[in-house]
Amino acid sequence: MERDAVLAIILQQIRTVVPELENQPMGPGDSMADLGVDSVSRQEVLILSMEALNLDLPMVQLFGPRNIGELAELLHGKLPA
Amino acid sequence: MIAAGIEALNVYGGCAYVDVRELCTYRGLDMPRFEKLLMREKTVALPYEDPVSFAVNAARPLVQALEEAERERIEMVITCTESGIDFGKSLSTYVHKLLGLKPNCRLFEIKQACYSGSAGLQMAINFILSGTSPGAKALVIATDISRFALADAEAVREWAYSEPSSGAGAVAVLVSDRPRLWRVDPGAYGNHAFEVMDTCRPGPDNEAGDADLSLMAYLDCCEQAYRDYARRVEGADLRHSFDYLCFHTPFGGMVKGAHRQLLRKVCKASSQEIDADFERRLVPSLLFGQRLGNTAGASVLLALAGTLEAGDFSAPRRLGLFSYGSGCCSEFFSGVADAGGQQLLRRQGIPAALDRRQRLSMEEYETLLKGGEVIRFGTRDARLNHQLIPSVWPAFEAGRHLVLDRVEAYHREYRWAGEPG
Repeated sequence: MERDAVLAIILQQIRTVVPELENQPMGPGDSMADLGVDSVSRQEVLILSMEALNLDLPMVQLFGPRNIGELAELLHGKLPA
Repeated sequence: MIAAGIEALNVYGGCAYVDVRELCTYRGLDMPRFEKLLMREKTVALPYEDPVSFAVNAARPLVQALEEAERERIEMVITCTESGIDFGKSLSTYVHKLLGLKPNCRLFEIKQACYSGSAGLQMAINFILSGTSPGAKALVIATDISRFALADAEAVREWAYSEPSSGAGAVAVLVSDRPRLWRVDPGAYGNHAFEVMDTCRPGPDNEAGDADLSLMAYLDCCEQAYRDYARRVEGADLRHSFDYLCFHTPFGGMVKGAHRQLLRKVCKASSQEIDADFERRLVPSLLFGQRLGNTAGASVLLALAGTLEAGDFSAPRRLGLFSYGSGCCSEFFSGVADAGGQQLLRRQGIPAALDRRQRLSMEEYETLLKGGEVIRFGTRDARLNHQLIPSVWPAFEAGRHLVLDRVEAYHREYRWAGEPG
């Protein structure tokens, strides 16, 4: 899977968790916090994204990315080769 | 095997609170996000209150209710806190003296962030189960106070949602071989622990950390501690083994998120089932946390108290408890309570005591935030001003509550409000 496909999955989960963002333009440079996604919902997005990618990792391994693009990069790197 | 567990429990939620909605409006915080905290009020500690006074005010009714012969069997006092007042001397030494307990007693303090209350409870339960002193009782008191000191406007911005959610409170439990309130399932527990720098208190007056990392560690622990429990306990079933669940509650929304993930991962439950299950099995546990705020080490015991107060105990119920402390260590464990236990708990009149607290205006609250009267860690000498917020003092007097009076050569001296000093 390409990194852009991972990014698309994350964006889709954000819109699922926060329906208010349905029509909000967002891209790799945005951070969920800046988009107004609260801390519990941010975790929810990570959980749903992992599910969609068939990944089962400790949540703490997903700590660090400063924006959605970096998160996509990190998740992409965790996918089996 | 000897039965062991909680014989009696009491909560002390202070004498003053702020309305969390009012605070969020005052701070200009986003209302939809506020709603997700699932918070109503938060207890505010006055400068003449400390973890000792909170602990004693929680424990005193339990000790007073005992016959002299029973009181003499309190052979261990464990204080559980992340709000310590000395590096060496434990809070339990003050508590022991102020409650008038016998000298043949083990006194010590436990620290592991918000996990401390469960650590203390488990130590006490295992002391009883060991049978080394048949008939002995242990007093475990989880006591934590958050204080915010208003340095500048930047401080308020940094606090964000931690200000409305952080509270103060103490829960005292008497642990013995007469577990009339809650009987532990011996050997039914699971742990998950690993080193992580999610939140910490690197100095006496500051907290540091990252909210996201802390939530992640909490979620990981919730799942893995339960899985360790299920590994140890034959036939454990997350859906059916527990009538109620009581989680460490930094704020209600966190518990909701953790419960959601746990049911999804362990039971593959649907969203609809998860929402209904949360209402049924977890909402009662939020009763007191919504009124005190996050009480750190006391929070899982507060959740237990809420469930006992608000739940349906027309038949014996098994309660699953999950405790998490940053840094981190966690535990999932269980026990059983029945109608008699609910009756005993309700006799403490906890909701009525919380109703008697004085609501602080934002102006009074800001006076406290300025922090001028707070006894800093390491203070040598001080005399406390009990009239700093005059509207609150009558609540202390009416309740005959313990307050800090002065500090002399580092020694803290207390007095009972409303009684001659």
